[in-house]
Amino acid sequence: MRQLAMALLTALAVPVACGTAGAAETPTLSLNGFGTLGVVHSDERQADFVAHRLVPDGAGHSGAWSAEVDSRLGLQLTANPTSRLSGVIQVIAEQRHDGSYRPFVEWANVRFEVTPALSVRIGRMVQPVFMASEYRKVGYATPWIRPPQEVYGLLPVTNFDGVDFRYRSRFAGFTHTLQGNYGRKDSTTPSGGDVRARDGMTLANTLERGGVTLFASYSRYRLTVAELAPFFDAFRQFGPEGEAIAERYDVDGTRNTLISLGARYDPGDWFVMGEWIRSDSPSFIGDGRGWYLTGGYRFGSLTPYVTLARAWVDSDTSDPGLSTAGLPPPLAAPARQLNAGLNQLLGRAAVQQKSVSLGVRWDLARNVALTVQYDHLDLAAGARGVLTNTQPGFEPGGTVDLFGLALDFVF
Amino acid sequence: MPSRLTVTGWSVVLGFMIDSACADVVVVVPQHSPVERLSREQVMDIYLGRLTRLSDGTPVVPIDQREGSTTYREFYQQYLGQSPAQIKAHWSKLIFTGHGQPPRSVADDSAVADAVSQTRHAIGYLDPDFVDARLRVVAVE
Repeated sequence: MRQLAMALLTALAVPVACGTAGAAETPTLSLNGFGTLGVVHSDERQADFVAHRLVPDGAGHSGAWSAEVDSRLGLQLTANPTSRLSGVIQVIAEQRHDGSYRPFVEWANVRFEVTPALSVRIGRMVQPVFMASEYRKVGYATPWIRPPQEVYGLLPVTNFDGVDFRYRSRFAGFTHTLQGNYGRKDSTTPSGGDVRARDGMTLANTLERGGVTLFASYSRYRLTVAELAPFFDAFRQFGPEGEAIAERYDVDGTRNTLISLGARYDPGDWFVMGEWIRSDSPSFIGDGRGWYLTGGYRFGSLTPYVTLARAWVDSDTSDPGLSTAGLPPPLAAPARQLNAGLNQLLGRAAVQQKSVSLGVRWDLARNVALTVQYDHLDLAAGARGVLTNTQPGFEPGGTVDLFGLALDFVF
Repeated sequence: MPSRLTVTGWSVVLGFMIDSACADVVVVVPQHSPVERLSREQVMDIYLGRLTRLSDGTPVVPIDQREGSTTYREFYQQYLGQSPAQIKAHWSKLIFTGHGQPPRSVADDSAVADAVSQTRHAIGYLDPDFVDARLRVVAVE
């Protein structure tokens, strides 16, 4: 907690020249920020409920209450030297893979408007893989305390380095936005391993008319998890059977694909939104599916909402592994160990759970909203769902109740 | 004892009742602008940053009022059916994704009259009492 407070203070203290937005033709510089101060309680003490899988600490085992799951601070500097050229730098402080709160650069790009309809960007951007991907960290802009993990948890990485284009057109009253990008991303797991995504591309299409938004995206990338290479090499020592297993499950330049479809209807007083995704990986990561549906009603400054969500896996979540029957004892023991390791990997990769969330957002002041949210997670039989850090006493397949409180702000 | 939440809820309800008793906010352009009429959806899209050019290619430059002012609240309720908090959330999505900044905002109704009359392709909204010879009211249907 102290570390978090220090990081927030440091980020706030960064000196910046701040101008106000003027006419479109004069150069402008704007400073904007967003943040969430959130705590969440979990009643499952044998595992952690975390923000996403690339961070070590959460609520439950690490501590029944945690401020580390939802809290973050973001600062953004936007420069418009001319009406056709702009630059954005966004720095975020939140829990990282090593448990620290060192601020990192989430966005850093230069955007050029080729025509009023077409713009291109180069630098670091967030992939529009899901309907709310690009602003998923801005709690104030979303109805929830955190995006439903049954969908958003499938891709914990948000940004990439590369190029993108955005083309906007109008027909029959619809605003049509087509976005495409190409790039790469390196990330680090809590155990210090490197995860490399290469040849990543996303095509996303958004249609908006009045209160209606329709979204569809297709993404693909090649993934390499280097720290698993020795594990699968050990399988290969066991001849053709082991080689086949390594071939089936290793993540070494594996081509992953992700499809997302979403819709939102918001006529003003109420809203309903939902997304469905499928993520396919011919590796131990497997074929994940998920959806959520959120609806809410606005009573003045109070917005109660409910979310239903489900995630499941369409591929094998266990494997018999190497046959140990015919092996001499000195080989059978390591083979059994490898099989256990493989099944642990498959079990951890598979997110299988249902959840119901009830919440109320209170827009208590301009720029500030307070949200309370209760989540009831129902883990599938034998599964640990979105939980991590499972302890020996953890019983898979149970239910978990979460209670969260978050103060979201923008400035 | 009424909780603070209830009190806030009631003040919001009362606020809406008072708002609806006021004269309707009108949408204006400079006197010599070619824009005669706009659909409600076009006004919505212009103020949400989705529409920057009309179908004939004419650019539109929206002028906004100070957030939280009475005219601001009335305009967004009347033409977009949205509260200031919803508008704030909408712009947060665009600002923090580098996809746009909200329209230029000025202090009050008379400042809107000045800004719209002095800005080419401008569009603004204000209380009908502040419409003068430099401006023309746009029919919104």
